[in-house]
Amino acid sequence: MKRSAAVLTSLVLINLAIYLFVNAPPALPESTVAEGESVPVEEVLSTVAAENDIVRALYTQEIVGKGKLVGLAFQDDWREDGIQAGPLPALFLREAAQSLQRQSIPLGLYLGSDFPIAIANKFEGKQAQVFAALKETRKPAFFYAEDTGQYTAMFPDVAGVQGCVTCHNEHKDSPKSDWALNDVMGATTWSYDKAAMSRGEYLELVGAVRQSFRDAYTAYLEKVATFEEPPEIGEKWPDAGYKLPTADAFMAEFARRASAQTVDRLLAETAPPAAEGLR
Amino acid sequence: MSDRRQSRRPIPRGRIYSIAVVAPVFALAFLLRPDAENLRAAGPANTGHEVLDCAQCHTTAEGTPRQQIQANVRFLLGMRTQGADFIHKPVTNVDCLACHQNPDDRHPVYRFNEPRFAKARAEFAPQNCVSCHTEHTGKRVTLEPTVCASCHAGLEIKEDPIAPSHAVLEAREAWSTCLSCHDFHGNHVQTTPVRLEDGASREAVLRYLAGGPAIYGDSVRFRAKTDRGDR
Repeated sequence: MKRSAAVLTSLVLINLAIYLFVNAPPALPESTVAEGESVPVEEVLSTVAAENDIVRALYTQEIVGKGKLVGLAFQDDWREDGIQAGPLPALFLREAAQSLQRQSIPLGLYLGSDFPIAIANKFEGKQAQVFAALKETRKPAFFYAEDTGQYTAMFPDVAGVQGCVTCHNEHKDSPKSDWALNDVMGATTWSYDKAAMSRGEYLELVGAVRQSFRDAYTAYLEKVATFEEPPEIGEKWPDAGYKLPTADAFMAEFARRASAQTVDRLLAETAPPAAEGLR
Repeated sequence: MSDRRQSRRPIPRGRIYSIAVVAPVFALAFLLRPDAENLRAAGPANTGHEVLDCAQCHTTAEGTPRQQIQANVRFLLGMRTQGADFIHKPVTNVDCLACHQNPDDRHPVYRFNEPRFAKARAEFAPQNCVSCHTEHTGKRVTLEPTVCASCHAGLEIKEDPIAPSHAVLEAREAWSTCLSCHDFHGNHVQTTPVRLEDGASREAVLRYLAGGPAIYGDSVRFRAKTDRGDR
């Protein structure tokens, strides 16, 4: 009896081993990064942050700043029914962050400050510590958020346009009213869940971020279409009157301003060693 | 009595074995029928999800079951760096957001991944949809309506328009009153009341969270899809 049990057990184990290892279908691929092909997350986050700086400056200066001069309005409650306004620059960034979530990209984008207009945007804990140091250095800071497993980067938001300063000083909910040009008014935080990624993922991420900018601007145009007197949408910008560029025109101008810098960064990180002499 | 005892014959062992094998096979076959999805569910679908088929949330994992078993055995033996999902992928925010797209969500889950919400994450994991909307409970919301305190304690509002004021409500620790006036995700077309007595009663809020009638009106900004349409 014992012998038959041993034989039976052996047969079961042999069959199991064949099922699992010998007569096997192709193994499932693993999502790992091949050695030597990985781009560090710090570089990737720096690239998308640089792109964000450019789209934000474009929107702030060319759409909000010049738009206000021709009668366009921009408010906190722009999404409310009946409000004839578009998103303020910080809310434009919020729209982009929402788009990233919709695209299922594990890339986090947040805006905060030590004196935010909305109290929910006030830095706390680790971010408050990092921001305090960042205000002094004015350089990006990188850290690992252990509880979420996110590689995180904070980039200083410097007041570069008088419109930002004036709006934040005069806003009824602002806890600070003496902002000045060139102050570090806050920081943009980016996060990703891997320390490194493949070149393909890097490009995919940059593509997703650009799509999020397009989505944010498209959301504004959709709102504009509900205005009682909507501006003309076409190739012209607010500096030419009560007009707004199409999403394609907006993104074309963004690409014109951002692409050279981004391509340089991509080449610096992704060109194979043999091509180094070409850089 | 003794005759009766003699007339009871023992059931043949072979028949018992046969029943033990055949009955589960029939039961399994019955449960695996496509129209028996609800019988296989872990519990009643949450409010609004009754009309969905299981595959809307439970998407198929990559590979065949055999490949998945092999990948997991190899992972356990240290022969690969990652395991594999078995039969279905785990249900995540991506699955929820495939149907629930609200561009003006007042509390989008992604925001809670920011480092400064560490306290809230430790307390009730708001970065995951299912932390508040645990599925297969037959309810709308499964969390106590007092979690607002985690982020909004110390709230300061200049020119507070409501009565009683937010400061008074916080001093009373009346966190369960927040939802009387505020729609957490902001998906209903409504004017937020400025007097607490004009908001929903605590009982009405609890009934709503349990799957009861609407308290913020019937008009929604973004209606959830019933087919995610991305597969």
